[in-house]
Amino acid sequence: MNYNRPELLDRLAAEYVLGLLRHRARARFERLCAELPAALTARQRWEERLLPLSLALAPVAPDANRWPQIERAIAALNGASAAPRVATRSAARRWWPVAAAAALVGVALLVGKLTYWSEPAWEPVAVLAPANAAPLWRLERSADGAQITIRALSPITLSATKSYELWILPSAGGNPVSLGLMPRYGKLERRLTPAQRTLLAAARQIAVSVEPLGGSPTGVPTGPVVIVASVMRAT
Amino acid sequence: MATALDGNELDELLERCARRDAEALRALYARTAPQLLAILVRMLGTRTAAEDALQDVFIRIWQQAGQFARVKGRAMAWMVAIARNRAIDLQRAGRPSVLLEAAELAGAEQMRVEGPAEHAEFGAAHEALRRCLEILGTAQRQCLLLAYQRGLTHERIALSIGQPLGTVKSWVRRGLQSLRACMES
Repeated sequence: MNYNRPELLDRLAAEYVLGLLRHRARARFERLCAELPAALTARQRWEERLLPLSLALAPVAPDANRWPQIERAIAALNGASAAPRVATRSAARRWWPVAAAAALVGVALLVGKLTYWSEPAWEPVAVLAPANAAPLWRLERSADGAQITIRALSPITLSATKSYELWILPSAGGNPVSLGLMPRYGKLERRLTPAQRTLLAAARQIAVSVEPLGGSPTGVPTGPVVIVASVMRAT
Repeated sequence: MATALDGNELDELLERCARRDAEALRALYARTAPQLLAILVRMLGTRTAAEDALQDVFIRIWQQAGQFARVKGRAMAWMVAIARNRAIDLQRAGRPSVLLEAAELAGAEQMRVEGPAEHAEFGAAHEALRRCLEILGTAQRQCLLLAYQRGLTHERIALSIGQPLGTVKSWVRRGLQSLRACMES
């Protein structure tokens, strides 16, 4: 499919926003948006055009119990970093006299803890570089392994009709499993499915292949593999 | 409620969520949950399913706030997209929903774009969309509204309005073309 045709991209974007694309086409368009700025722009324009239809609906007040449930779910999800700044601040206030009286090392521990709570923790996974060339991307994962960040280390040049796609090479063998398309610039955060998460945690290697724009049409690499990198073990 | 959906304020709240400020999420919930729940109820059909989905939506907003690129007034569009995508995922994964009753279809046709007047910031957009939807033929408008507000697929729209699938696809396509042309003019 030629995504360089603006009218085709616009039609796909409109059908995506209306919810008319089938599951695979929908996932494919989402991957395309992560890679091709024109696709993302087309999608955002349709979201804005049709937004009044959502805002025209009469609001429905949620059940009063719903917010506490959301708060608990988020706290459970994030562990210590959740019930966040309010709690850490009041704890700091309460313990300040003790900390002031304590040795410098105590203060350093407290500061260290506050910093830890306020920064999401990312662990390095791999630096992706073609053979004998400078690194193109850095891959990190969140401490809980549920998200990855792919950072383009400098703007990537590639034919407008091609995409780079990231793959896990499962340690147990079998077909590579896609982790989605690589950004050409900037940083991309992506949530992993439980299956991807397990595979990545166990994998020793990941790879990048060159694919048709929008990603492999078959679900396995179809173009040349340009990078194979070792996965750093979680600390 | 006059400033319930003030775009700038929502942008700021989302940015604070990205910095892991839970108070900002609570404020965002207070301002936007009723509108997002309205969308989910319309798409999922039952209050219970919609409330559960609302919970998922706010967890996603919290997790993905760091990815929100601030563009003035886009916060609501970004959150609505998260809510709609969640509803679409649930619809596709779940049981096939029942066909719409004739009375509901008549109701769908009456879904005008008469957005609450207090959303002053969105007033011009409401007006443009209302004007452009009225230009469309009734069948085209009905297909677009059933897709967007109900989350129906081409097949379900065809079954609901008793038209062949090919006809529905062509109405949707032509409706979208006309809508875009009208809104860009």
